[in-house]
Amino acid sequence: MSYHQDGLLDIFVGVYILLFGLGILLLTMTDFSTWFVIPAIFPAIMIPIWISAKKRITMPRIGYVKFGVRGANKLMAIFLGLMVAGLGAFMVFGLGASMGEGWALTLRDFFISNSMIIIGIAVATISSLFAYTMGLKRLYGYGLLTLVLFFTGYFIVIPFEYFLVTIGLVIIISGFVLLMRFIRRYPLPQGDKINAQESV
Amino acid sequence: MPKNPSNLKNIDRVIHEPTRLMIMTQLYVVESADFLFLQHQLQMTPGNLSAHLSKLEKAGYVEIVKEFIERKPHTALKLTKEGRSAFKEYQQNLEQVFSDLSK
Repeated sequence: MSYHQDGLLDIFVGVYILLFGLGILLLTMTDFSTWFVIPAIFPAIMIPIWISAKKRITMPRIGYVKFGVRGANKLMAIFLGLMVAGLGAFMVFGLGASMGEGWALTLRDFFISNSMIIIGIAVATISSLFAYTMGLKRLYGYGLLTLVLFFTGYFIVIPFEYFLVTIGLVIIISGFVLLMRFIRRYPLPQGDKINAQESV
Repeated sequence: MPKNPSNLKNIDRVIHEPTRLMIMTQLYVVESADFLFLQHQLQMTPGNLSAHLSKLEKAGYVEIVKEFIERKPHTALKLTKEGRSAFKEYQQNLEQVFSDLSK
């Protein structure tokens, strides 16, 4: 049993990706740059809502468990590792590019011309790492979907934001399916029964 | 026959009972869990779980904290310090028994 089998995480991540895609889409359509504020402030608004949804939907159905620090440390180590590696690579690349180094400029051109494939591989790798760490197999699927769509985007010229909107919608639908399944599988225990159960 | 059958005598019978062993195993890997979570994980009836928890509490292995969260009763369960060391000792004793068997 996992705390993320309720699909809430999928819904919130899906909405975030969708908003991000819509933000870019509206920016290209209206040239109104403040659309970018939406995905930027999204976590601050949605994280309290997500916690509240967990308390109201998940916990009353499957109970509450507080894990030790070991699991959190593993996840944090991956986060920090990725951040340090990304930052280090970016600094080396930035330094090289500012000094007009040939390799850095070649690399920059390579990134620009293959950005769709590179982003696809990066997202698929990060999703797989989370899938492995959190034991959520569906994240492999999301990573694979991103990889396939972004590879397609490399060969077929479709604006980047459409891919984000598609991925966001797929993840939201998957989240709602999981949520429905979760609610059906774990109905809310009756109040009286809870009292009887807990008469340890 | 095991070389040293007396090792079997060291096995903690409070923990050794399969249901209580499952409860102890579940609580060992987490910081705390509530009654409903354990019930789902172990697929047990409330009465059965309650009875085993009482035995573990009596042995001093499990701490049961009753509280109200948003006016609803909530039972939080966690292994005590004694419970954790008893579980480790149980594991070592059992390993010893099997190790003696294979010698």
